[in-house]
Amino acid sequence: MLKQRIIPSLLLKDGRMVKGKNFGNFRDVGDPVTAAKVYNAQKVDELMFLDIRPTAQSREQVREIIQAAACECFMPLTVGGGVRTVEDVRHLLTIGADKVAVNSAAVRTPELIRDAAELFGDQCVVVSVDYRLNQAGQRTVWIDSAMTDTGLDPLEHVKRCVTLGAGEILLTSIDQEGTLEGYDFDYLDEVARAVRVPVIASGGAGRLEDFYRALTTTKVSAVSAASIFHFTDQSPIKARFFLSNSGVNVRV
Amino acid sequence: MGLRLCSRCVTPETHETIFFDQEGVCNVCRQQEYKQEKIDWAVREKELHALLDSYRGQGDYDCIVPFSGGKDSTYTLYALVREYGMKPLVVSFDHGFYRPTVQEGKLRTYRRLGVDVLQFTPSWHVVKQLMLESLKRKGDFCWHCHTGIFAYPMQVSVKYKIPLVIWGEPSAEYTSYYSYDDGPEQVDEERFNRFVNLGITAEDMVGMVGRGITPRDLAPFTYPKLRDLKAINSRSFCLGSYIPWDVKKQSDLIKRELDWREEAVEGVPPEYGYEKIECMFQGVRDYLKYIKRGYARVSHLASIDIRNGRMSREAALEYVKKYEGKRPASLDIFLEYLEITEAEFNEIAVSQLVYPNECEPTKLEKGAELWDQKLWFRDPAAGSEQR
Amino acid sequence: MIAIVDYGMGNQHSVLNALRYLGVEAEVTADPEKVCRADRVILPGVGAFGAAMENLNRSGLRAAMNEAVLQRGRPFLGICLGMQLVAARGTEKGLFDGLGWIPGEVRLMAPTDPDIKLPHVGWNDIVIERNLPLFQGLKKERAFYFVHSYALCPQDPAHVAATCEYGGSFVAAVYRDNIFATQFHPEKSQKNGLTILENFAEWEGGSC
Repeated sequence: MLKQRIIPSLLLKDGRMVKGKNFGNFRDVGDPVTAAKVYNAQKVDELMFLDIRPTAQSREQVREIIQAAACECFMPLTVGGGVRTVEDVRHLLTIGADKVAVNSAAVRTPELIRDAAELFGDQCVVVSVDYRLNQAGQRTVWIDSAMTDTGLDPLEHVKRCVTLGAGEILLTSIDQEGTLEGYDFDYLDEVARAVRVPVIASGGAGRLEDFYRALTTTKVSAVSAASIFHFTDQSPIKARFFLSNSGVNVRV
Repeated sequence: MGLRLCSRCVTPETHETIFFDQEGVCNVCRQQEYKQEKIDWAVREKELHALLDSYRGQGDYDCIVPFSGGKDSTYTLYALVREYGMKPLVVSFDHGFYRPTVQEGKLRTYRRLGVDVLQFTPSWHVVKQLMLESLKRKGDFCWHCHTGIFAYPMQVSVKYKIPLVIWGEPSAEYTSYYSYDDGPEQVDEERFNRFVNLGITAEDMVGMVGRGITPRDLAPFTYPKLRDLKAINSRSFCLGSYIPWDVKKQSDLIKRELDWREEAVEGVPPEYGYEKIECMFQGVRDYLKYIKRGYARVSHLASIDIRNGRMSREAALEYVKKYEGKRPASLDIFLEYLEITEAEFNEIAVSQLVYPNECEPTKLEKGAELWDQKLWFRDPAAGSEQR
Repeated sequence: MIAIVDYGMGNQHSVLNALRYLGVEAEVTADPEKVCRADRVILPGVGAFGAAMENLNRSGLRAAMNEAVLQRGRPFLGICLGMQLVAARGTEKGLFDGLGWIPGEVRLMAPTDPDIKLPHVGWNDIVIERNLPLFQGLKKERAFYFVHSYALCPQDPAHVAATCEYGGSFVAAVYRDNIFATQFHPEKSQKNGLTILENFAEWEGGSC
């Protein structure tokens, strides 16, 4: 039976790994290459590298990080941040990424999803969707590292991306992100039920029960997390043993 | 409090990497069955002989033995020198908190066995910052010790071109990061990263601590590069993967042969005077574990005795109740060393509670002071000389 | 020398990284001459069936692989799309002829349960159906990384080397003489995957 996945996410800024709260207040949480080796030693299911402030210089740093990680970590790597063109996708795939995460471009130039899926296959196009609640109590999609409100409804946006060829959806609640207070469970479930492709839960995991709840009470296929691994004594390996004791089908 | 325990030993659900099977038996107990019933130890010992033969007499030293003076490394060193005829270079990483009687015991072992020794002590200014940072991040102040003990001897191995490094107890004895049925446990960078370093590498630590700490300061805690290890054909394993590890038998042997001595440890019944005697702050380490995970060293030691048929589960539960969960007297010295208050310490500890354990440290009763605590090194001025 | 066939469809470098880590000599190449002369051939790949066959036909790599694998009997490893291409026929976005080394067809996976997601992404346990030297040394935990929506359905059950469960059983690996191919990605399956790659580097074809 297919295992449910736990995916650590590594946020990159100026070549270091950082973690903040609600997409702000970033703290240094380590070196991305050695962190990837640690996660590899802990037999994590996949890794996700997201460059949160993409610049020409950071692009070069990301290349070095992914190339170094890919030499010693033999697991799927997803890379994202500042991906705008088919050439950007090709570049990341060549340097060792298996999947490429597209965020702002999925709103500005959605045809990129179609073009990339046709050229490289659906399986390597992950659409990353960040959303938050507005004052009217509606969820809208934000882009540019959560700086620009697009006004789009996240579910409609996700459905459109899937139609265009997205192979997976990474769904992040900006309000929950970095709070360690738990995922936006109900909404994750709503989106996961509405699309055929796998949905990865993101934003808010702080306790092992959050993984358990997401994987047993919602239809998400995977959980992604960062703060719980950076700021608590939890690790992916400990999380898998906990989930396995609770009857969840994970690798141990 | 009601933590779920293994139905055979007394390890609770909050123990890292524990897994209970359908009979409620934990994976560490199952590993012991495998160790006792399935492994052909005679074959393993032959493999060990062949392995040691292939490294013997190649350079000035046959191997490196990382050494703390505790029962496991003392036995390992004893066995390699006396029983297997190896000439080791002993590498001892000083974490900074050796108890006076253990210092003396180390010296006794060196002299009786007649070995060359390299001792290394990292800067207290660096160590202090590392302890604080890892306490805050992981609720565990021992990062400098874990990483130093496992990385530094590997660096010596590269620098002196001594490819063979031999450790004592395999981790499969007490956790399931590795299991006996996966074959001999390799003590390599993967193992270092899997659990030894708490998920934090030296490269991570540099940016986390900041405050003028550079990669050079963290060199002693940095694992050597894979290509450097490959270049010397590095091999690093546990003696306990080749001979069946039995702490009780082995400590009796080193007592007899080397006059190795037991010592009182906080929160532990006197008959376990052979376990974890090296560090002044073992009591504080166990206390943190108790706050976070609801159990401490007695559960661990009694579980080992149950698995080896030396104790009943009922007697173990009595012991745990009687000895665990006391605030150690050594915490006062620990707080003085790190210059933090007990309230700060408690706040950090409680922030790292492992579900479903709950704990209120201020309500725990105080434990008795160790006889040697008044002899421990104290120098309040050393801590304040920050760069 | 192992030739990793580069035909513009994906992650040849991941396979190269894994082999280098294992200390196995290998080269990524698009040169039919080199493929023809290689001791072993690996055909990785992700993407669409039709485009892949077109690239292989146009570049002369198909003919080179036919010579190396069918005539010279060099051990062959196909990975993911590289496994699907050894089939006689593909049905992804049209009908296409494959390499035709294993009689059978590549079809869209059709799990009956609507809750089951496609693509099939993640770690799944394989069941070994055929005792091959390639599976030696695997531990009891046999999860491998998969990412695909199509699967090869061989005509002859004798060609099935391993199966996997995902809304029904599908073929996770095929075998015939000196040809071995996996739907999962050994180069992305950590220790289990490295074990298979290491075995392949020693494999001379044939079963146990």
